[in-house]
Amino acid sequence: MGLIRRNAEPEQLQYASIPDLLRQLDDPDRDVRREAALGLDGVAVAVGPLLDRVAAEPVPAVRDAMLTTLAAHDIGRVAERLAVLLASDDAGLRTAAAEALATMPLATPAIIPRLLTNYDHDVRVMTAMVLANLRHPAALTWLAEMIRDDPHPNVVAAAVDALLPSVGPEHAELLQQAVRRFPDDPFLRFTIEAALR
Amino acid sequence: MTAAAGPGLSEADFERFREYFYKRTGIRFGETKRYFVDKRIDACIRNAGYDNFTGWFVALRLSERPDLQQDLINQLTVNETYFLREDYQFDALLHKVLPEVLAARGGPARMTGPVKILSLPCSTGEEPYSIALRLLEEWEHIEDVDVEIHGADIDSEVLAWAVRASYGERSLQRVPKPWVTKYFTPVGAGRYQLDGGIREAVTLHQVNACDTAAMRLFRDFDVVFCRNMLIYFDELSSRRAAENLYGVMRPGGYLFLGHSESMSRISPIFTPTLLPEGIVYQRPTGAK
Repeated sequence: MGLIRRNAEPEQLQYASIPDLLRQLDDPDRDVRREAALGLDGVAVAVGPLLDRVAAEPVPAVRDAMLTTLAAHDIGRVAERLAVLLASDDAGLRTAAAEALATMPLATPAIIPRLLTNYDHDVRVMTAMVLANLRHPAALTWLAEMIRDDPHPNVVAAAVDALLPSVGPEHAELLQQAVRRFPDDPFLRFTIEAALR
Repeated sequence: MTAAAGPGLSEADFERFREYFYKRTGIRFGETKRYFVDKRIDACIRNAGYDNFTGWFVALRLSERPDLQQDLINQLTVNETYFLREDYQFDALLHKVLPEVLAARGGPARMTGPVKILSLPCSTGEEPYSIALRLLEEWEHIEDVDVEIHGADIDSEVLAWAVRASYGERSLQRVPKPWVTKYFTPVGAGRYQLDGGIREAVTLHQVNACDTAAMRLFRDFDVVFCRNMLIYFDELSSRRAAENLYGVMRPGGYLFLGHSESMSRISPIFTPTLLPEGIVYQRPTGAK
């Protein structure tokens, strides 16, 4: 007993073939599915199968592995499909999709203008979450647009929340204007007053 | 510096290099690190015997000389550490986490297999050896339970230092004097070498935390220390490293991050657990 050294012979790296990994995406064992999703990193032919499965995957850890691999394909096709998931009834799925989109600085900006005008205010709330972490020079401008123009107080509050780490004196008028637009919303008022402090 | 080593990289060279290094390691350097990167690349070029960036970079990219890549990784990864750093997390390990691990695995008498602890990145060895010292000196079950401690790092040079386990007084400043006397031997020039038994007990590996296939060789760890590594990665690489850490852990296993790091900003796959000593993250348990 006590401290011991592992004496087993070092294992050799095992690389599964791409067809095997694609088959394993449907394996009943969630660990196998998860490792297959990660193993498909950088494999272009895996994008379609992963996009087809990610929304239906019941295990969050497997779903997040799929999203990690998908997000590395920072292309329009992936961003478009992940954006659809922002409207999901599954809160975990739409949040995970937002986090994945935020790590795609090349493809996500192209879909932001459309998301900002989406009819569903919940999608616009998720868009604010994407913008909170998206590394793009226009991210703060888009958040300011949401605060200035969006008709729904929850969206404005989400945008204020996303802007908080970067808020400065230059945003004071924008934020005060938002309070004036929604005088009956105490939560928004509280959020903005906290931001201005 | 498409020209000679010394005056710094041109904008275009810096951008090319930055993309290359990111793809290899997951580490992305911002403009604020420009001076640091320029100096270290300059050293790499000189170490490799080239007189300009272009020749060195072509050789690096074509993998003509594997030593170039390792020297580059060694130069550009940060390895500052010392014994018993952020010691409150070792307190949490001893007093909160290990009791939970033993309970989850049926208690000392019924456990199958050792308690496994991973230190990644382990740098020059201070962290895994600190864990060993704390367990040997303070853990009541160290005579009842087998413990495997592993250290891993991307940098081969710091791993060579860890194998030698010879440290200066600055590195040992937080180690109680009786422990220094008991576990270290003065080897001259103000340096002390760690006891051979402890060195032998800690297994060291070279691995890139973003390399999913390589990380699959690590399995069933009860506790992982991954402190001050993820802060060097961009969002996507952090996510991948987090996924790989999840894979090396046993369900219910514990993950310690550095005090300024938060998994909640990286990935939702771990469950945060608040201990008196701070937040630790757990791989969720759950049936397959």
